[in-house]
Amino acid sequence: MQRILSVLDGISRTTGTLVRWLALAMLLAQFGIVIARYVFGYSSIAAQESVLYMHATLFMLGAGYTLLMDGHVRVDIFYDKLSVIGKNRIDLAGHLFLLMPAMIMVLYWSWPAVSNSWKILEGPISVGGIKAVFLLKTLIPAFACLVLLQSLSCVLRILFQSETRDG
Amino acid sequence: MAEYLDILMFAALVLAILSGFPVAFSIAGTAIVFAVLGWSLGVMNINLLGAMSQRIFGLLTNNVLIAIPLFVLMGAILEKSRIAEDMLDTMGRSFGQLRGGLGISVILVGMLLAASTGIVGATVVAMGMIALPTMLRAGYDPRVASGLVCSAGTLGQIIPPSTLLIILSDVVSNAYQQAQYEQGKFTIDTISVGQIFASALLPGLTLVGLYILYVLMRGWIRPEDMPPAPADVPRPPLAEVAQAILPAILLILAVLGAILSGIASPTEAASVGGIGAILMAAVKAGANRRFILIGVTCLIVLAIGAGVFPVRLQRSDLGLGSYMLGAGYVVMTLIGLAAIVLALRSMIAQKVLQPALNSTLTMTAMIFATILAAGIFSLVFIGLGGEERVQDLLSAMPGGATGALIFSMLFIFVLGFFLDFVEISVIVLPLVMPTLIIMGHDPVWLSVLIAINLQTSFLTPPFGFSLFYLRGAAPKEISTGQIYAGVTPFILIQIIAVTLIWFLPEIATYLPSVMF
Repeated sequence: MQRILSVLDGISRTTGTLVRWLALAMLLAQFGIVIARYVFGYSSIAAQESVLYMHATLFMLGAGYTLLMDGHVRVDIFYDKLSVIGKNRIDLAGHLFLLMPAMIMVLYWSWPAVSNSWKILEGPISVGGIKAVFLLKTLIPAFACLVLLQSLSCVLRILFQSETRDG
Repeated sequence: MAEYLDILMFAALVLAILSGFPVAFSIAGTAIVFAVLGWSLGVMNINLLGAMSQRIFGLLTNNVLIAIPLFVLMGAILEKSRIAEDMLDTMGRSFGQLRGGLGISVILVGMLLAASTGIVGATVVAMGMIALPTMLRAGYDPRVASGLVCSAGTLGQIIPPSTLLIILSDVVSNAYQQAQYEQGKFTIDTISVGQIFASALLPGLTLVGLYILYVLMRGWIRPEDMPPAPADVPRPPLAEVAQAILPAILLILAVLGAILSGIASPTEAASVGGIGAILMAAVKAGANRRFILIGVTCLIVLAIGAGVFPVRLQRSDLGLGSYMLGAGYVVMTLIGLAAIVLALRSMIAQKVLQPALNSTLTMTAMIFATILAAGIFSLVFIGLGGEERVQDLLSAMPGGATGALIFSMLFIFVLGFFLDFVEISVIVLPLVMPTLIIMGHDPVWLSVLIAINLQTSFLTPPFGFSLFYLRGAAPKEISTGQIYAGVTPFILIQIIAVTLIWFLPEIATYLPSVMF
């Protein structure tokens, strides 16, 4: 069980520590675009779109890691006062009845659009842009999967930990 | 029951969020549960969910919101490199014997931290950690100190370049366009981030002014509440003040100026702000200081040069002069870039950059997951007929346009107890704003009014977000009652500000009308 948990958390942690550098990369790219545009009067749609791609990748692939870090904001007015068991119950119910169904639905309903996009290897958003809209759309199921995996890890941890405490 | 599903859905949303489960997934989960419920009761076409991928894709390709991670990164660097902390400390000392000097610096720093304001909680907690202990040590009354931190922590959200104003402007612009379509107009006006920034500037500064006035008056009436700095602590020398405060202020002014004057888009300006923050942090850390300062000078000269003598490489009629100038610019660019690389290297070595990137990632992922979830929620809400219900409700309000606005403001105020700024902007505003705009209210004025209204809501006991987050960050000696007492005068100030803007809309609409 511990191994499954560390694999699941590892996936989130690795994606997180990788994609966080995209925040810096998009900052540098955008700054480069600014210099090119304002100092040298040169602009490129593809360069501007690269920032958009990095931005989208950052927040879509970062969602699972954020769940691991408990960085998704909670309104813990009442939650904070609960015992560990109470918190676990809320989290368990939330993961099973709110988060997981929602992410499964995102997967189900975005699938046709994503697979169609792959079939035609959908081109750029605007003329002269990056020809990889199919990759951009793939971020939607990737987001759902990463969040689902991390959610699974949270659920297993709650169940596993309460088991060991009872035993 | 089936025809009231939309109302039940909203109630369920509030319950799910109050349970303490992460907000983004509470929103998405409630939406899905009610979509399935509506479908099984035969009141909703489940295929509407097919529009989900189009909505999410719209979020992925939204050009306005790209500025958010850049601004958040800028704020995170200013915070993690302790530039913000130094600023507060130096500013407080430079007010010297003035009663309330430290309090005023807390307000001013809260205002300057606007860029990093993604959620109300984050700034209040940050201010609570930095400013509260400083004030208590200086002998401030705990009520005054906690009131100041709460209100200064929420101040940032309505002062440009707050990330919340960026989200708000995107929402308002969409609502405005929708309203124009429904009125049958063919030429559609839009609203830019710059316009919203410009409209929020004067109201925000008015609030800052009122806050400072209050601190000065309180220090005068009840001097024991805020003792001045002890006489033996000297005022910091001018050089230290210039070093700790000026760069950050200049950077923020440059970023804002570029956006407000229409020279640069918010995303472009934000990238300059982020790079500026990196260079400042590196200079403060002291590694390769001289070279980095040379690089900064080059970049500033470049910025001025580009404005006065631009080089346009894509033109064919370039003379020798332009080539020489271009070559000079290239050299300066390279020196500037080298300085940035060195700055980054030292920040990575000192482990300042990684935590800043981490908090940027989690903050951005949190904000966008919430927006994404809210998109699914409103899809289902519309599918259940909620949008029409809201429109009917608003048009049935007694008192016409004013009545509808008062009702919406009260509704948003109450919702502010349960939902944060982002959720209200992306779930509630798209429902009420088009109707309010069609009734004749000015969209820019509306957004400022709503922003300040929300800020007031976050300060109001017993549920106000700001109080609640401060409770978590404040030391145990401060009682909840003291926090409530401390924040009351600020709530009154907020109400004064809302009234002022209600009756003098020019405070919000004047700047955008002359600038755009």
